[in-house]
Amino acid sequence: MNLIERRTFLKTSALAAASAAASARAQSPAAPASPQEGIKWDKAPCRFCGTGCHVKVGVKDGKIVAIAGHPDAAVNKGLLCVKGYHVGGILYGKDRLTDPMLRKNGVLGKISWEEAIDIVAQRIMKNPAGFGFYTSGQSTIPEGYAATKFMKGGLSNNHTEPNARLCMASAVTGYISTYGVDEPAGCYDDFDACNVLLMWGNNMAEMHPVLFSRILDRRERGQKVTIIDLGTRRTRTSEFADHYLEFRPQTDLAIANCIAQQLIERGAWDKKFVENHCAFRADADIAKPDLLGVAISFDDFKKRIAEYTPESVSELSGLSVEQLKMLGDLFADPNIRITSTWCMGMNQHTRGTAINRLVHGIHLLSGHFGKPGDAPTSLTGQPSACGTAREVGTLCHTLPGGRVVTNPKHREQCEKYWNVPAGRIKETIGYHTVLMFEKFCTPKDKGGDIDTIMVQVTNPGQTLPNLKKLYTAKTGIEDKFLIVSDVYPTASTEIADLVLPAAMWVEKNGAYGNSERRTQQWFKMVQPPGQAREDVWMTLAIAHRLFELGHPGMKDKDGKFIFSFKNDVGNEVPVWDYAHFHDINADRVLYEEYRPLTHIKHKHVAPYDELVKHTGLRWPVVEQPDGSYKETRYRFVEGEDPFVEKGKGIDFYHSTTEDGRAQIWFCPFERHPEEPDTEYPFWLCTGRVVEHWHSGTMTMRVPQLRGAMPNAYCEIHPEDAAAAGIGNGDDVIVATRRGEIILSAWINGRGRPPRGSLFVPFFDEKRLINNITLDAYCPISKEPDYKKCAARIRKA
Amino acid sequence: MSAISRRDLFRSMLGRRVEPQAPPAAAAVIDAPPLALILDRFCLAWQGSFCSVCSERCPVDGAITVDQGKPRVNPDLCTGCKICHDVCPAPKNAVFLVARKPRQGMISRPAETPPFP
Repeated sequence: MNLIERRTFLKTSALAAASAAASARAQSPAAPASPQEGIKWDKAPCRFCGTGCHVKVGVKDGKIVAIAGHPDAAVNKGLLCVKGYHVGGILYGKDRLTDPMLRKNGVLGKISWEEAIDIVAQRIMKNPAGFGFYTSGQSTIPEGYAATKFMKGGLSNNHTEPNARLCMASAVTGYISTYGVDEPAGCYDDFDACNVLLMWGNNMAEMHPVLFSRILDRRERGQKVTIIDLGTRRTRTSEFADHYLEFRPQTDLAIANCIAQQLIERGAWDKKFVENHCAFRADADIAKPDLLGVAISFDDFKKRIAEYTPESVSELSGLSVEQLKMLGDLFADPNIRITSTWCMGMNQHTRGTAINRLVHGIHLLSGHFGKPGDAPTSLTGQPSACGTAREVGTLCHTLPGGRVVTNPKHREQCEKYWNVPAGRIKETIGYHTVLMFEKFCTPKDKGGDIDTIMVQVTNPGQTLPNLKKLYTAKTGIEDKFLIVSDVYPTASTEIADLVLPAAMWVEKNGAYGNSERRTQQWFKMVQPPGQAREDVWMTLAIAHRLFELGHPGMKDKDGKFIFSFKNDVGNEVPVWDYAHFHDINADRVLYEEYRPLTHIKHKHVAPYDELVKHTGLRWPVVEQPDGSYKETRYRFVEGEDPFVEKGKGIDFYHSTTEDGRAQIWFCPFERHPEEPDTEYPFWLCTGRVVEHWHSGTMTMRVPQLRGAMPNAYCEIHPEDAAAAGIGNGDDVIVATRRGEIILSAWINGRGRPPRGSLFVPFFDEKRLINNITLDAYCPISKEPDYKKCAARIRKA
Repeated sequence: MSAISRRDLFRSMLGRRVEPQAPPAAAAVIDAPPLALILDRFCLAWQGSFCSVCSERCPVDGAITVDQGKPRVNPDLCTGCKICHDVCPAPKNAVFLVARKPRQGMISRPAETPPFP
């Protein structure tokens, strides 16, 4: 093969692995991969979405030279999406940040790491309570754990938030208020067993393509799967759906209630399941909803749900009575298996918690729960929104392992475990994301009591809603200091006062947790460029600098530093000194320190050394008598979940009412706070495209991905376009009450919004749609609604 | 594998016989507009992932249609403009431009997409 260019050959073999994956799915033997000279292969989860595909990374001469889907990974079986095949390219953009930089007189200038760490520590020292730590659902588990211990167990400061607040918070509150514990009971295996896949505002073909292909593969094998796309806009997913049900934005609440109404009206609910395993619940005061609500009787539930007849909901939602009855028929049929999936359509919702509860509720009410293929499963957007933000607990109200700061027992457990004085962890909930940035963008004398924010592994300058109010307003306010750790210049670094160059993905050790509770681990494979360093090191170095400066919170009860890293012979390794950071696997130490904390909510994550051997394991992972470890597919189900006692069948052992019952909620349909009117007659929805990851920081630097999707656009219905004199490709001005931006129109594009509706992707940093999105949020989850606001459009 | 030319490599991929021969004069290859051809073994959509960029960016209505997610070229409408080749994001570019009539050295030489550094 000397004359075929090696790189061409490698790329060919990556694709050959993909073909092999396809044939493996078709259950024919896969062709063995050809041997490649001089390339070292290792495994890693993909850097992008919450699906959690595993890739094989080929490294030669210190560089990634090949990427292939991991053929043994249960999630993707060798298949990847377009981003996944190019995940290696994200390391090699030409403008990687390589040096710490401090802004002086408006210009960023290089400084040393020692200076940078000292500046951060001094800022925190000056006002520890005014410090906010903004991390990510793309932070690794050890990064999240170090951040949460440093903040909550060290600084007594709960102002730590992950960007998962913008992404998954409503799913969390939905799970907790229903089952008493976060994260799905089912898993991806449900996709192999269901008869009906019901997607609630979920464009899986574009956002979780590898998962969606798992369903389509079943069709190609001749199995019958009914795919129902319940959405507000025709997408790539709709093309494969047996039924595309297009509803008016926000009326998903009424549709879910209508399914429950029909089950009760027809007497078709699962009486035995409900009697044995469920209870009914509602908000005490709908004007002031809270997480746990109050118990209501079945009769009360029946009375409240009665008004959601197919006829009345049809008028509200735009679905036909027949379509609503079809949904009722499906849930009323005990002999089929229904899997519901959702992602941002339900979570980024001003009633995000409510719609999550309702979808769980119809599955419980109909008994479509706990059997393979019968599950309500939220898909996460980010690779470790579950593993880090939710399980480690980097939200402003959480502690590791599903604990919360408001629970005195939970605080005590963590204080004891961390050997810090009682009362160290503050009981008041910190500022959630929107509030934290609002406080940061408000002068001190007007109540803006956050003066320093450190950002890691995310790009709030592009992804916060209503950016002018929540981000750019920071400039010009005295004594506000923004620290951004990132890999490329971004919309966030643009106004940052201190920029820290970070190592990314396989330039560092890491562990992620995907949508189906699967914890995955990888090792560092290549060197980060220049002075770029690991985010977890930054946190440890800042903490240790504070310890040197005498911050009392950095000491445990015995006066020792709160973090301890011991090598095999028991000697302390000073990992905060970068020269010694790689003397030991700091990730393993932090992960193993965190692991026992997961046991209280029965989220037993696998030991680090087990993760090394696997392409991920789904928790709870429990040690067997023979010393091996077994993962869990279905939680709360006897025979599958090791924590369900024999004879119980199903046991919701973290029930909010402590009686083993899950809650079936009633939540009314409530209108959106900013519906279209005569002045702003369109619904504006935002989202992603398959080629780009979130704000495009990484994917826009891969030539093939940028070439395939170079800029943001505005999808519009042909009739709306004609009425406004807009042709395909014309420049248009999209305006909301918060401002306007120029985009190019795309008619009959990848997605096809109905009349009166627009769609704009948010990846393009030159066309920041979040300058004009709404910052209204769900009152319980505090997650903003990026999917709906009122807009108007005209030709530029 | 013995020394083979890039053209022969492509020929072999298309299942054609590889035979050593002198390269044809460049003019002979490009005197008629070529035709886009999507190779399913390289195409993300045909390999079970999702992609329709070639069709989205094709300037001729109907020249590349997508059915059940899979793109197909309509040879009667394809003008050979090569945009689909330029935008194809597959790790190994899936769009080839082929001469319309069989002739000696029939496959034209597609521009190489720069690999990631």
